[in-house]
This record gives sequence, C-alpha cells and structure tokens, in this order.
Amino acid sequence: MSAQAPSAIFSVSDFIAVTNQVFETAYPSVDVEGEVSSFKVNQGKFVFFDIKDSGGSVNCFMTVWQLRVPIEDGMKVIVTATPKLTQWGKFSLTVRNVRPSGEGALKKSFEILKAKLDSEGLFAPERKRLLPRIPRHVGVISSTQAAGYADFIKILNDRWGDLQVDVAHVQVQGTSAPDQIIRALNYFNQQEDLPEVVVIIRGGGSADDLAAFNDELLVREIAGSRIPTIVGVGHEIDESLADLAADVRAATPSNAAQLLVPDRNEIIRATKVQVQSLLPRILQMIEQYRIEVKAELFRALDTTMRSLEDQTARLDNLKQILQQLNPRTVLARGYALLRGKVVVGAEVEIETNTAILKAEVKHVSKK
Amino acid sequence: MSVKNSTSKTIQEKTAELSELVAWFDSDAFTLEAALDKFKLAENLATEIEKDLLSLKNDITLVKQKFDSEL
Repeated sequence: MSAQAPSAIFSVSDFIAVTNQVFETAYPSVDVEGEVSSFKVNQGKFVFFDIKDSGGSVNCFMTVWQLRVPIEDGMKVIVTATPKLTQWGKFSLTVRNVRPSGEGALKKSFEILKAKLDSEGLFAPERKRLLPRIPRHVGVISSTQAAGYADFIKILNDRWGDLQVDVAHVQVQGTSAPDQIIRALNYFNQQEDLPEVVVIIRGGGSADDLAAFNDELLVREIAGSRIPTIVGVGHEIDESLADLAADVRAATPSNAAQLLVPDRNEIIRATKVQVQSLLPRILQMIEQYRIEVKAELFRALDTTMRSLEDQTARLDNLKQILQQLNPRTVLARGYALLRGKVVVGAEVEIETNTAILKAEVKHVSKK
Repeated sequence: MSVKNSTSKTIQEKTAELSELVAWFDSDAFTLEAALDKFKLAENLATEIEKDLLSLKNDITLVKQKFDSEL
C-alpha cells in the first residue's frame, strides 16, 4: 500500500489560469447550440446572453462588433466560442461568432436585420447605380470551385468577349465567408485600375449555406462599395440581404452574366436582320419606280390616242365638208350642170346625175 | 467594344457606320442607283461585325492575393 502523493496547492488566480489553459488546450474552439435567453447589450459595446436547452444553461459574452447577425431571446443559435473561467469563478463562453440555427431562427434574424437596414435606406431604389452597358473591366468574387462560378464564366464567355475579368477566390459559405468576401470587395475597391463592376456570385444551397450573404457587415460593405455591384446568390426564389443592397440583383449566377454583358449572338442576329430589312426597301422602291414608269407610259399613250382621235375627227369633218362640196352630190340632189354659152341658138351640154344631154338654147331671159 | 481589326475600325465604329447606312435607306437621299452599292457595303459591314464579335475572348485572371485571413 503506497502513500498517495500530495496534490498541488494552487492559488486561486493560478487555479483559474491553469483551468483556462486546460480549456484552451482541450477546446480551443467549440460550437455550442442552444436557445438565447437574457440577451442584453451593455454600454453599447458588450453583449451578454445565455444559451440553454432543457438540460442546462451557459453564460455567453462577446463584443458588439463580433455580433454580425441580430439575435434575440428565444432564438436558436450556434455559437463559436472558447470556454473560460472568469476571475470571479464564473464559467462562460467567450463568443467569436454567433449564427442563427434552424429555418425559423434564420428567417427571424433575416427579417430583423432587413427591417433595420431598410430603415437606414440601404436598400432604397434611389441608391442604385446603373451599370456600364458593356464593361471593360470586371471584378468577380466567388469560389472558383463552385458550380455557380462555372455557370457564370460559361455564360459570360458565350455572351461576350474582350473583358478583363479579375477573379477573387473566396469561401462563399461558413463563418469565415463574410469576412473573406468583404476583404475581396475592399481589395477591388482599393485598386488603382478600378473594375467598372464587381460581381458577387454563389450557386444554390440551403438557407444555412446562404446565410453568409445576410451578414450585416457584408451587406453594409456592399452598399458602400465605390464600384457598382451585381449580386447573384442561390436560385431565383432565394433572397439575401446582399442582393437587396447591391446595385443590381441577379436571380442566379448565370443571370448575373446575362445582366452584365449583352449577347453577341443576339447582336449578330439583329445586325443581319437590320441588313436583310434593306432588301424589301430596295424592292419596294423598284416596284414604286415601275409603277411610276408604267403610269407615265399610260399617260403618254393616252395623250397620243386623244391627239389621234382629235385629228381623226377633224379629218372626218373636212371629209364631210368636201363631200358637201362635191358636184356629184349636187347632181344627186336633182340639180343639173350646164356647160356652154347661154345665148339663143347656142348648143349647150347638160349633165344630170344619170345622163349628159346636148341641147340648143331657145330663149334666154333675165331673172 | 474597343477591339480593332485589320481595317482599324472598332466594332462600335462599324456598328455606327452600319446604322448610318440603314438610315440612308429611309432618308430623302435614297436613290435606287446608289442603293445596291450601299446594300453591299452594309452586308460586308455586318459580316465584319459578326467576325469581330465572335473573335472576342475574355481575359480571366485569378487574383493572387488570398482573402482567407487579414493581411
């Protein structure tokens, strides 16, 4: 039977320090899920709340600027924290990140932050800037491994070319995603050769996957970007606060590419249609000329015909006059033509319509 | 649309030129005698614009800077 070694005796301060060292070694970072209660903010800087479930409750502490999404009592959250024993011997979690957990909490948090930012005018239509019709230089923030990014690049390349596209690869989900996207956005905003548009894209996912785009700081950075932004996150039905703060909201990453540049195939088609539309114009003018020439010919023919008719009528008239003057016509009416000297005893010739007679003048008297 | 081809005209310039040609067909300056030459010119421009547009390529560069931590 051996004697038990005497245990070390700590001062209270040392015990607290050693305990915290053990915590730091065993749980440098721990995610704990529970329901928020007793939420309060002291001096506008320090946030205190408890998270609890049916079996227990733990105190939590964090700073206001670490709180990136709104939370309130009753909301289910996941905190990322380090356990700590305070100098007063109280156990608490020093929280680095808190995020809503479950559809209900996410929705609630979304609505609270949306109302807050909306009241500040971050989503106001008058803040929205127009994008250049065809940008030359574009910044893209996305995960280059994501399907949404591949869709965006494919549609972009199909639709247009001659763009300088700088791509910032970031995580687009998880607790570090908002900060990475913010850094990338700041990077583009600080460039000497500023992109004309920054496109932030991510494909579809669960509400939890897309939660990064409802981060308050990220939403504010997007709203404050010097460079106009397009945000295309998730599917058409998904709405994020980043969407609302952007200058242009795209329904999907593919839609972002569609909104960013025109479709060259559409331009080619329109150009061809434009040129082809000239042919009917030429044919129409030829037809118009043909009709005009034909009308001129008809007018000339008509004039000629009328002139001919006039001449024919005049000729007929003259013929009638000549006919009237013809001696035979007079003879036909019963008159006779006398030839020779009209003196008594002279022989004269008398021509009627049907005969020529020789006669002697027997008597001549004045009328 | 700043890319220039061998004729040193940008796509934008060619598009503007084509628009002017099309407008001519609807203007009082239209004459049938000149129309065919203008039409051929428009056809050539459309072909050049198509060729130029299809030859455009994007220059996609991955930013070297990492964003997973503070600088």
